[in-house]
Amino acid sequence: MTRRAEAGLIVAAALLASIGVAIVEFTNGDWLDAQVALTFLAFAGSFGGIHLATVRWAPGASSLLVPIAAFLTAVGFIEIYRLDSHLAALQRWSLLVAAAVGALILWLLRNAGVAVLRRYRYVLLAIGIGFLLLPLLPDSWLIHGATVNGSRLWVRVDVPATSRVLSFQPGEVAKVLITIFLASYLAERAEAMALVGRKLGPLKIPEPRHLGPVFVAAGVAFLVLIYQRDLGASLLLFGVFVAMLYVATGRSFYVIAGAFLALVAGFVAYSSFAHVQRRIDAWLDPFAYYQDAGYQTVQGLFAMGSGALTGSGIGLGRPDLIPAAPTDFIFAAIAEEMGLAGSLAVLAGFGLLLAVGFGIALRSRDRFRKYLASGLTIVLGLQAFIILAGVLRVLPITGLTLPFMSYGGSSLVANMVIIALLLRVSHEERL
Amino acid sequence: MPALFFNIIKILFLLLLFLFLWQIARAIRSHVGSNPGARAEGTAAELVILTGESDTDRVRIRPQGHVIGRSSDADIRISDPYSSEFHARVGMQDGHVVVHDLGSTNGTYVNGRRVTSPTSVTRGDTVQIGKTILEVR
Repeated sequence: MTRRAEAGLIVAAALLASIGVAIVEFTNGDWLDAQVALTFLAFAGSFGGIHLATVRWAPGASSLLVPIAAFLTAVGFIEIYRLDSHLAALQRWSLLVAAAVGALILWLLRNAGVAVLRRYRYVLLAIGIGFLLLPLLPDSWLIHGATVNGSRLWVRVDVPATSRVLSFQPGEVAKVLITIFLASYLAERAEAMALVGRKLGPLKIPEPRHLGPVFVAAGVAFLVLIYQRDLGASLLLFGVFVAMLYVATGRSFYVIAGAFLALVAGFVAYSSFAHVQRRIDAWLDPFAYYQDAGYQTVQGLFAMGSGALTGSGIGLGRPDLIPAAPTDFIFAAIAEEMGLAGSLAVLAGFGLLLAVGFGIALRSRDRFRKYLASGLTIVLGLQAFIILAGVLRVLPITGLTLPFMSYGGSSLVANMVIIALLLRVSHEERL
Repeated sequence: MPALFFNIIKILFLLLLFLFLWQIARAIRSHVGSNPGARAEGTAAELVILTGESDTDRVRIRPQGHVIGRSSDADIRISDPYSSEFHARVGMQDGHVVVHDLGSTNGTYVNGRRVTSPTSVTRGDTVQIGKTILEVR
């Protein structure tokens, strides 16, 4: 596909977003106003900007990534706008900021390439872990953590001399930094880690001294679980780590050991923490806890059920009844108003995104780039899976944003960074 | 009337979503079709001249190989001032495509690394001769 076709699809996605906004206006009984134009401008400006940055600094990059990201963002944006037009206005700004950060990454790497990230891997790891711990800062500080819905994963900055507060979720950026570190660590160690020490029945066990990182990962994920009460991020970090080990070594031992550790951790968490116990009970039988812990899940199920095949139509359902509809439960809101057809379109969008991401990884000749591209794709895929599974009651509900679709600036910035890095990796394969 | 009207809008919007996905899927298919790695193994390898001037832009690699260079006697003639008269040879050895540097002045590079001994290359690898870049497909 050519750059010109990419530009065409970006314009199409921008049109899609503004048509959706127009439909919402119309069903509200309003006539078209500036919102439609602003939406078009925000989408064309942000994704068009990434497109121009790609043409300028990574001309060999895959031309499929940006249109797919634009599509997912557009569908999510329409539903956010329908739920709360003020949030949507903020989301438009976030989108522009995220695109600027993405373009900045492409500019920074224009000469050195992603290889330069290897040199700073321990710095990146330190920043990543620092970001993960940032929400633990005491409430009285200028920069401080904040507890929202029982999870401590927000950081707030009180801007001096005003009453304004900037807030962001550092965990979103941390996941990208930690993935970069893992890719560069594994690029050097994977061969040793794939060595078979001894056999235990059909299971090949690597030498014990190579197992250290697995326990470190499990430990970090468990600490996040305990101190920040963030089930989603903890599951995501651990899952990405295990999946990348498997990609790098091809040893199923790591997957089995990881699953075993996760089960043990899950059991310990279930028996020692009340909030985990509530979540799991509400997952197994949400209708028994309809009044409290299961309320969100049940509302999500009702929403998806009432959506049926083609949905109620945008603006004609009641997705506002679902708690956290613009963020964690955006998929349930989409399923209610766009039906099974709309939700399948979203899933297909994610499927295509993952296919393109893994395609880039497969084509990479260099080990680091291969692991980086697969790791970043795994982050997007696993995050989407964890939150979708929570909404669909395949897994207990864990608070995570649906990449590109949920309302949230930090998430949008982090995902755009992932897209920029994938673009850069695919560009380097054409050199 | 309004109910029917909203239904039509709803369906049209959903069609729009799938139209977009269809376009992307089509683009991926054409992308995969041109991707050297996706082609079935066993088909004859080709040498594609990506940049630089030459008589041809793609050559199917024959078993006895091709000499690449600036000379008019070279099998693949490239008009590149940085190339030697007989710069490198690309041939087949045990079913692999192998690149030999023929003692050129500016060297032969496989994937950006200078090669001095015969080097086996696979699909997707690039061979640089002077300023000319070729890709094995």
